[in-house]
Order: sequence, then C-alpha cells, then structure tokens
Amino acid sequence: MYDAPLRKTDVETKNTKIVAQDVNVYYGDTHAIKDVSVDLLDKTVTAFIGPSGCGKSTFLRCLNRMNDTIDICRVEGKISLDGEDIYDKRVDPVQLRAKVGMVFQKPNPFPKSIYDNVAYGPKIHGLAKNKADLDDIVEKALRRGAIWDEVKDRLHAPGTGLSGGQQQRLCIARAVATEPEVLLMDEPCSALDPIATGQVEELIDELRGQYSVIIVTHSMQQAARVSQKTAFFHLGNLVEYGDTSQIFTNPEDSRTESYITGRIG
Amino acid sequence: MTDASLNGAEEPRRRGSIHEIDARTRKRNAREARFKGYGIGAILVGLFFLVVLAVSIVSSGLPAFTKTVVKVEFTMSQEQYDEAESTLFKTAAYSDIFIAQLRDTMEEEGVEVAFDEGSIERLLGKVGGTLREFYTANEDQLGQPVTFQLPASSRVDGYFNGRVTREGLTESRFLELTDLDLVDALADAGVITQAFNWTFLTGSDSGVDNPGGAGIGVSVVGSFFMMLVVLVLALPIGVAASIYLEEFAPQNKFTDLIEVNISNLAAVPSIVFGILGLAVFIQFMHLPQSAPLVGGLVLTLMTLPTIIISTRASLKSVPPSIRDAALGVGASKMQSVFHHVLPLAMPGILTGTIIGLAQALGETAPLLLIGMVGFVARDYPDGFVGGFTEANSAMPAQIYTWAARADASFYEKAWGGIIVLLVFLLLMNVIAILLRRKFERRW
Ligand SMILES: Nc1ncnc2c1ncn2[C@@H]1O[C@H](COP(=O)(O)OP(=O)(O)OP(=O)(O)O)[C@@H](O)[C@H]1O
Ligand SMILES: [Mg+2]
Repeated sequence: MYDAPLRKTDVETKNTKIVAQDVNVYYGDTHAIKDVSVDLLDKTVTAFIGPSGCGKSTFLRCLNRMNDTIDICRVEGKISLDGEDIYDKRVDPVQLRAKVGMVFQKPNPFPKSIYDNVAYGPKIHGLAKNKADLDDIVEKALRRGAIWDEVKDRLHAPGTGLSGGQQQRLCIARAVATEPEVLLMDEPCSALDPIATGQVEELIDELRGQYSVIIVTHSMQQAARVSQKTAFFHLGNLVEYGDTSQIFTNPEDSRTESYITGRIG
Repeated sequence: MTDASLNGAEEPRRRGSIHEIDARTRKRNAREARFKGYGIGAILVGLFFLVVLAVSIVSSGLPAFTKTVVKVEFTMSQEQYDEAESTLFKTAAYSDIFIAQLRDTMEEEGVEVAFDEGSIERLLGKVGGTLREFYTANEDQLGQPVTFQLPASSRVDGYFNGRVTREGLTESRFLELTDLDLVDALADAGVITQAFNWTFLTGSDSGVDNPGGAGIGVSVVGSFFMMLVVLVLALPIGVAASIYLEEFAPQNKFTDLIEVNISNLAAVPSIVFGILGLAVFIQFMHLPQSAPLVGGLVLTLMTLPTIIISTRASLKSVPPSIRDAALGVGASKMQSVFHHVLPLAMPGILTGTIIGLAQALGETAPLLLIGMVGFVARDYPDGFVGGFTEANSAMPAQIYTWAARADASFYEKAWGGIIVLLVFLLLMNVIAILLRRKFERRW
C-alpha cells in the first residue's frame, strides 16, 4: 500500500527536545488527551496521525501553550522543552511561542500586506537591526516558504488576497521568519495542491536540519514521506509511537494497522 | 412501493422537462414573489412615513429661518436728538419722530394708508427704544440717513408665513384688522420684506414675549461642549472596558454579572440617569447646575453601555484565527489585540460610538432634570472652560422649552430647532460612514 520510499533514520544520535509525561487535557468535561507520554526529538520530523477528533491538534497546541487561550481547557501533566517545564509558573507563554512556532490548520494571514505578515514576528522580537536586515529576513522566509517567486513583485499587496495554498505558504514563511526551535504544523498541506505540497514537504525536510518539526497530517503518504518518527493517536490515547518505517511496515498495535491500512478513521 | 419496485424492476424516477415549470416549483416561486412583495410594501410604507415626516418638519420649520423686517431709511438731526433727550418720556419722543418720518416717506411713495402710534407699536414693538439705543451709542450717525432693519412683530411674521390670516384674525391688542392693511401697503411699497433670520442660528433663547429674537446658537454650543465631554470620557472608557471584558477577563460568575448589568444599563430610561446626575454630580459633588459638564457626565453614563455593547460585538466579530496567528508568532495578548484585533474592529467601534453620540445629542429628559432647560441659554460662554461650566442649554432641551410656550411663533421655532438638530445628526452619520469607509479600505 505504501510504496513511497521510507527515509532511512538515524534517530539514535538525536537529542530529545520535548518531553511529555502523563499529559491529560480536558475541555470542560471532555477528556481529550489521556495519559500521553512521549519524547519528541530535535532535528527530526515527527508526524501525528490518527482519525479526526482523536486529539492531535489538542496535543500539538499543548506544546506551545496555545490551549491557554481556551478558557475551558485544562492541561495536566508535565511537558518540558530542553528540560525546562513549559507549564512552570515562571514561563511567559509569549517567550515560549517565540521558540515554538506554529502553522495552523486553516491559513490565517493577517489582513495586512504580505511583507508585513512575515515581518511582524521578527519586528516584535527585535530580530532585525534595520530595514535592510528586515528585508533580508522577509525574503529568506518567503523563499523557505516556497512562495517568494509568486509574491516578490507584490510584497505590499494584502496577504488575504492570495489563494488558499499561497496563504498557507505565507503562514509557513511567517512562522519560520521568527527562527523558532520547534515548528508545529497542523495539517499544513490540507489546502495545497500537489505541487505546493511537494514544495512544503521539501521545506519541512530542509527545516529538519535545524529544527524539531512536528506535523499533523491525514495523509499517510505524507507522513511516510516527510517524517522520521510517527505517533498514532486514537480517541485521546497515544496508541503507538516509533520510527516511521516501523509504524508503516510493521505496526505493533492492531488499531494502528487498521488505521493506516484504511480500516478505521 | 410502486408496482415497478415491488417487482424488483427498479425504474429510475424521471423528472419532467426543465422547460416546463412543475406545480411545486411554481408554488415555490409564487411564495418567493409574495415575500418580495411584502418586503417592497414594507419599504414603501417606511418611505411614505419618512416623506411625511420630512415634509412636515421642513414646512413647519422653515419659517423659523426667515424673519419679516421693516426696512426704513431714517435720519435724525442733532436738534431732534437733543430735544428728544430732554423730554420726560424719551423713547416716546423717538417714536413720534420715527412715525412722522415714516408718514412722509409713505406720502412720497404715494401710499395712502392711515396709521398711528398704536399700529406702529403693534407692528414693530417699541421702535423708540431701538432707535434711542442706536443713537446714544452712535452719536456720530446723527444728521445722516441710516437704514434700519426693524424686526416685525411675530404676528406680522405669522401673517407672511400664513399662520395668521385676515379671516381667522381675532382682533386683539396685539393686532387689528386695519394693521394688516398697513402691512399690505408697506409690503407693496417694498418697506416690509423677508430676510434670512440669522438670529435664529446665532442667537440665544429670548424672553417669553419675544419669539422673534429667539435663536438656537447658544444651545448648539451647549450641545457641542456636552458631546465633547461624552466623546472624551465615553470612548476611551467604553473601549477599554470592552477590550478588557472581551479579550482579557476570565469567563466566570463575576464577569457574567458585569455583562448582564451592562446590558441592563443600556435599557435604563434616560430620566433615571438624569436624576442620578442631579443627586451625585450636583447635590453631592457640587458641580455647577445647568452646566454642560454635568450634562456631558450624565450622557456619558447613558452612552457607555451602547459603546461597550457595540465595541464588544465588533471585537467578537474579528475571527479568532487572527488572534491565534498573532499569538502563534509570539505576540503578547496585548500586542495581538492592539496590532491586529483593534484595527479590524475599528469600523464597528466608530459606528457604535457615533450612534451613541447621536443618541446622546438627541436626549432631553435627563438634561431637564439637571437644569439645562432652554431659558438658561442666554449668552455664549466665556472661553473654552466657560463652555463646560457656565449654565447653558442643549438643542433638544431648547426645542422642548420652545414647544412648551404658548405663543405660536415659538412653536415654529421648535420645528426650526428640530431641523438644525437633524442636520447635526445627519452630519454625524456622514462622518460615521466616512470613517467606516476609511478604515475598511484597509482590506
Ligand atoms: N475548543 C474546544 N472546546 C471543546 N472541545 C474541543 C475543543 N477543541 C477540541 N475539542 C474536542 O477535543 C477532541 C479532540 O479534538 P482535536 O481538535 O484535538 O482533534 P483532531 O485530532 O485535531 O481532529 P482533526 O483531525 O479533525 O483536526 C474532540 O473530541 C473535540 O471535540
Ligand atoms: Mg485538528
């Protein structure tokens, strides 16, 4: 079923970037994430797969504390980034999110110019010393988002005037412009055509050199193509976590097997 | 169910030709057409009432903007002046000189009509007083012809506006039938004419017996200073409160309580705010009575809920994904609100604010309670601070005061005042629309 070539992985040499221990998430009375413990590696692409509503986005949003913005959401357990607890009282989520960037499921560019969309993060974090510097950062980010050629002549046109796929790549460019250490991507390619998807996947592969990338996807092929590690979620549980090649060729759990062969989900 | 299906031979159901409208579709279309008809009918009814309203306001109010003046050239010599000043009833002496000259003028013009002191007084009021006031202040004008524009009495004014007719005239000490002959003759001679009534736009309230001198200008100034207070207080307080409630405050019993109370406040009758203002601002805090400052404070209380509710609604309408996007790149809550949410909510906030202001501008009841009644608007305030603290009225209160007076020409002024008020409201709405355009253009 999966004839996409699986990447050879050299996981052993990588450091752990994020450690989650016994994480439980509740939305009011809904128990959305149940006792999830997982070690996410640096310089690695990790794919979260699982049927709709199983809690992939929820868990992803725990990693940069985006769930703080949902009043009814309660997170229990411990998640640490480079050994530091991110739910510690001393942590300012703003500082955390500068380190852990995010690309959302639905493209959400600011209703500002393309340039301003990308420049916003570097500006508020003081990453650019001057205008020329900022121009450089913006161009680099747009190139990495695989959208530079399409927008270089209209940097001051509204970002919301782009097509859905272009908007998503703009959002990716916006996320990488702030130089995060971890990049969380929630179904970044669900609005993209195969060509743009290919470009984004290439980008993800490139980002792997420096960052820890965590990607939620519904496409088994995509998970197989871009990730080295895969986590399978089902009804809020982390059912199986391991090397992508292992999960796709020889899953331990029957639920994983059913899902990736298309029998559940 | 059909024979065909019972027999198992599934015949796919065919619909008729799409060139023939079937009964169902026809019925549906008819229903739609009827609904459109109701809509158009409703709009027409609305338009009809609007037109009736506009026509009646304009036709009743326009006379307030014109006045009837008697335009006469008058010369007073130094001797006449000295003589008049030495008599006991000085103004009567002036009147006599005036009447004598008028009679001469009329004779020259070939107008034959009889008039006496009484009829001139009924037409022009106490002319002698006006003349004496002028010459004692401008002695250098003695011996030279001076053209006077003397305002005619309100009844003569009414005769020109059609409010007073020969047939309907009940003779009184204010106007007799023979006076109308004089008026007609003077009009024929071009002595009596209509002029634009600047006094109405620039003047202040006059006494009960002087409708001709009444103007709305001073109370416009009063309204202006009140609106300034409301804008300066209600906009920042309202927007800050809404941003806090909508973006920062946790959702709990306490904030729910605040929310319910704000909605309730919006429904509190304005007179309640008026009596509150009387008790708190005037009796307790001893702020000056009838001052636009106090009026502004009361109206601020009244406008705040409106501004808060509309601001919260426009903040709510900003898609949450924008906030997520800002937080996702590491913006703080405050940055996300001020850089991204607020600019998008701006058109709504401005519209709400201006609607609130417009409501406040038209509010009468609370002003009456704090003493901003029409007749206190006598003089323009002294300077900027005086604008807030000196006793004044406001447009709607002034209109109310006029409408309550017995003299029919005050009633006319009330309608005129309503035109002025509506012009200001229209202006504010135009500003609201322009501002919204300006902010919406930023995609
Ligand atoms: N804001 C919220 N309030 C209440 N319940 C929520 C909220 N967000 C998610 N949930 C619930 O939490 C569970 C997990 O949702 P989540 O969005 O994490 O699923 P998902 O795996 O990302 O699904 P999908 O693949 O469709 O995006 C679901 O049952 C969902 O109903
Ligand atoms: Mg999701």
